[in-house]
Amino acid sequence: MMGAEPAFPNFNPLGIEEWLGELAAGFAMTVYLYFVALIGGFVLGLGLALARQYGGRVLSRIATAYIEVIRGTPLLAQLFLIYFVPYSLNAWFTPDGPPLLDVTWSVRIFGVTVLNHAIFSTLLSLGLNSAAYQAEYMRGAMASIGSGQMLAAQSLGFTKRETLRYIIIPQSFRRMIPSWSNEASYLPKYTVVATFVAVEDLFGMAKLIVSRTFLALQTYVFVGALYLALISVIAKALDVIYERTKIPGL
Amino acid sequence: MSDAVLRVENIWKSFGELEVLKGISFDVAESEVKVIFGPSGSGKSTLLRCINYLDPPDKGDVYLRGVRLGDPDTDINKVRARIGMVFQHFNLFTHLKAIDNVAIGPQKVLGLSKEEARERAMDALRHVKMEKWAEHYPAQLSGGQQQRVGIARALAMSPDVILFDEPTSALDPELIGEVLQVMLDLAQEGTTMIVVTHEMGFAKSVADEMIFIDKGVIVERGTPHHFFTSPESERAQQFLHKLEELYGQSEEKRNTLVDRDA
Amino acid sequence: MPTILWILLVRGVPDALQITFFGLAMGFGIGLILALMRVYGTEEMGWVAEAYEKVLRGIPVLVLIYIFTFGASSIFWFVDPIQRPIVGAYVALGIRSGAYQSQIFRGAILSVSEGQVIAARALGMTGFQTQIYIVLPQAFRIALPGWSNEYAVVIKDSSFASDVGVFEILKVVQNVTANHPELWLPSMGIVTLIYFVFTYPVTRYFGKKQKGAVGEFGREVIWA
Repeated sequence: MMGAEPAFPNFNPLGIEEWLGELAAGFAMTVYLYFVALIGGFVLGLGLALARQYGGRVLSRIATAYIEVIRGTPLLAQLFLIYFVPYSLNAWFTPDGPPLLDVTWSVRIFGVTVLNHAIFSTLLSLGLNSAAYQAEYMRGAMASIGSGQMLAAQSLGFTKRETLRYIIIPQSFRRMIPSWSNEASYLPKYTVVATFVAVEDLFGMAKLIVSRTFLALQTYVFVGALYLALISVIAKALDVIYERTKIPGL
Repeated sequence: MSDAVLRVENIWKSFGELEVLKGISFDVAESEVKVIFGPSGSGKSTLLRCINYLDPPDKGDVYLRGVRLGDPDTDINKVRARIGMVFQHFNLFTHLKAIDNVAIGPQKVLGLSKEEARERAMDALRHVKMEKWAEHYPAQLSGGQQQRVGIARALAMSPDVILFDEPTSALDPELIGEVLQVMLDLAQEGTTMIVVTHEMGFAKSVADEMIFIDKGVIVERGTPHHFFTSPESERAQQFLHKLEELYGQSEEKRNTLVDRDA
Repeated sequence: MPTILWILLVRGVPDALQITFFGLAMGFGIGLILALMRVYGTEEMGWVAEAYEKVLRGIPVLVLIYIFTFGASSIFWFVDPIQRPIVGAYVALGIRSGAYQSQIFRGAILSVSEGQVIAARALGMTGFQTQIYIVLPQAFRIALPGWSNEYAVVIKDSSFASDVGVFEILKVVQNVTANHPELWLPSMGIVTLIYFVFTYPVTRYFGKKQKGAVGEFGREVIWA
């Protein structure tokens, strides 16, 4: 599933090879978390960016506040905040007796848990978090498009909405690729917060393996290298896309 | 070695494949004003940077009062302190006030005390008529003012010779005069100067010798009188003619300013 | 409720600030050296510095912390074993920050115009003098926005150190609310507020001055 494995000649070969299956599963979970959070963050981020740049006074203030708070607080705190909502509510409303909200639900596909409370909380917090950062890159790109183009479009008869749709947003997407690539490339790193709520992502698997084999250094370094590889591949892919879609002067 | 302040001997310089300087030689005597001119790309700026070894020449030597700059035993920083340089884009230290820009050289390179350096700096600023702006930052000064501070910075080191690299080329027209006036005064006081410039009025007024460089070689040299009455080489003729066409009337205007004390 | 707030402030915040400060300081030293290597060093030095940056940026902080606390705690043979996890976390944050600060300083040093360097050399200043009196003073000023962003990043990353036992804010909350789960939400709210108070004013004040503030600094400093 993972293609070529890097060779570690001085590591105990039996140590890690048995666990490739677990590592693969963890890797898959990490990638899954990453993509969903990235895409979710993209959609929300776009909305936030538009709200900040072109929304009215109230809307842009709300968007700004959201972005500032998210960026000013740790992802981990945000995850905990979301994750413990049902637990907190349960303890508050029904301290003794059957819980108000069920936290044991899960969604399975082919026997693999793709969604449960922990995963959902992780996706939600990662997505909300990423949205704030993506919004800033998008907004920067939008701002760099001179206001002259907006004026020109409107003088042609475009409504504000149409201008955004046909003129501003397409250009923004291209312009923001360099800076947005940073977020897209490094987001996989932040999926590790999942381990704090017992989601079995790549790092979670690493901890599992270490608890069984006690080969702490090799395992963590190996897993670290996997993250590095994943990030490098994504960054390179984005670079290629950027080069392929170049427009002169943009 | 005669009494040459500066001797440039057979300088060659290439950048990769491109040969920029091909065997340049000349002497500069005490209190002499040398004007170097020529088309852009002829290597004039490179020549100045070779003289103070900011860009060491590939072949050839430079001597400052007999000291060979290329000698490995020579402390190049000490030599540079004796060669002043004024830049086309001023290159003032943007985080320092004017007075500090001028004082930092004397203080850190020459080793003067803070007070001595400051005094020297104020003298230099007075010399260029910028003493009232001592506490201003470069960003608060006009181009002409910045360049005058640049000149003061060079003066404060009491150099043996000052190199001017197109000092007025980056200035708005109305600011050129104030800088040229300072340079004229310096020339008349006997400062040894090498000036790379297009300002022919200046050259006509104070140059002792003019050197025309094209494509990395000295094509012609002579007094201003020589160049402006009967230049020999065709290239020099063409170049001077172009300048006259371009500057035309403003040349006349500037000449009246410049010929005052001629 | 007030007791929790008090405990948070008295125990958690100073520890979080301590680890942040140490991480930033270590990162500063490493970052400055790497930046100078990249800008003024030989080609090989440049590759080494670049490789360091790439690797340290590509590994999650938590993994780094684990590598240093559990994987390689024998490096810290001179430290008492009980303290080792904490030292590991500190070091991990420090070397990570070094990779980012290297980028910041490199960009800042390069923005100081070459003309000024030439002018300084023409005056007779040595390379060293040029750095100390002309380049670095300006570079540090230019680096402030990126640096304030890095401060915010490190203080947020310090929350990961709670996983290995460092007594920073989140750890304190976990301990305290173990017996009072209903207090989770309110105390997390307070924690969030505390972090915000420590990051927002700094990044706002020192941050990149752009139209409408909040410049283009994400988690990853984009520079050069």
